[in-house]
Amino acid sequence: MQPATAGFVAIVLVTIALISLLVLRPSLVAARGGRILGFLCLFVLPLLATGLGTAAQVEHSKSTQFCLSCHVMEPYGKSLMVDDAAYVPARHFQNNRVPRDEACFTCHTNYTLFGDAKAKLRGLRHVYVNYIGTIPKQIKLYDPYNNRECLHCHGGARSFEESELHQPIREDLARNTTSCLECHDKIHDVHNLANVKLWKEGKP
Amino acid sequence: MTVAPVLSRRLKLAGILVALGLIVEALTMFWRHPTAFLVFLFLGALLVVAGVLLYLLTIATYAPSPDGA
Repeated sequence: MQPATAGFVAIVLVTIALISLLVLRPSLVAARGGRILGFLCLFVLPLLATGLGTAAQVEHSKSTQFCLSCHVMEPYGKSLMVDDAAYVPARHFQNNRVPRDEACFTCHTNYTLFGDAKAKLRGLRHVYVNYIGTIPKQIKLYDPYNNRECLHCHGGARSFEESELHQPIREDLARNTTSCLECHDKIHDVHNLANVKLWKEGKP
Repeated sequence: MTVAPVLSRRLKLAGILVALGLIVEALTMFWRHPTAFLVFLFLGALLVVAGVLLYLLTIATYAPSPDGA
């Protein structure tokens, strides 16, 4: 259990116990101690718990399980299991180059909850579309993939910096005028999943 | 010592709203799905805020009767 979740659960249990006491014996607030108790369990602790709970929920939304919980994302999860080193996400996932439990977030850091206000609204729209709207046959990124997602790990790495192929375009990569995906172009390729061998069956 | 019935009733209601909100919030922690986040925010947190506001309103507007109740 993550620290924010553990803290949240502990505060919720204490708060509910104190609220039960107050609801069963409201006369407690007639005394000064009771008024302090009321202030604690009806103001301070609930707001603290909700704040910690929000932090815990935001942490949860980084998890691979969270991203793949919508049906439309399942093929993208499956693509992490492709037994072919040419597939960039699969190679990173299977070799622990990204944390497996935060695989999606590691390479898509500006999505929904973690993006700007516009991205957060898009996240709300995704939930709406998932339940009520029409899910598009092909889903795609809103913006071109940002090299920042690659460079926050590869930038400065010796194998990357000393590569003869990278050196001439290093500045272009940093400025995003040349995309990493122009050469490393085998990404999720979900439309071809039926024709590839998988490393392991099942969800990542 | 006793408290006025109105105060007692409002505090109980505030307590119940906050407790319900916290229970909803806690339940969403066991479900990793975007909907869980929305339920947390738009149901759990809303109930908590409603309870807290009712509590604040109660203590801000409560005027004790001359006999101290």
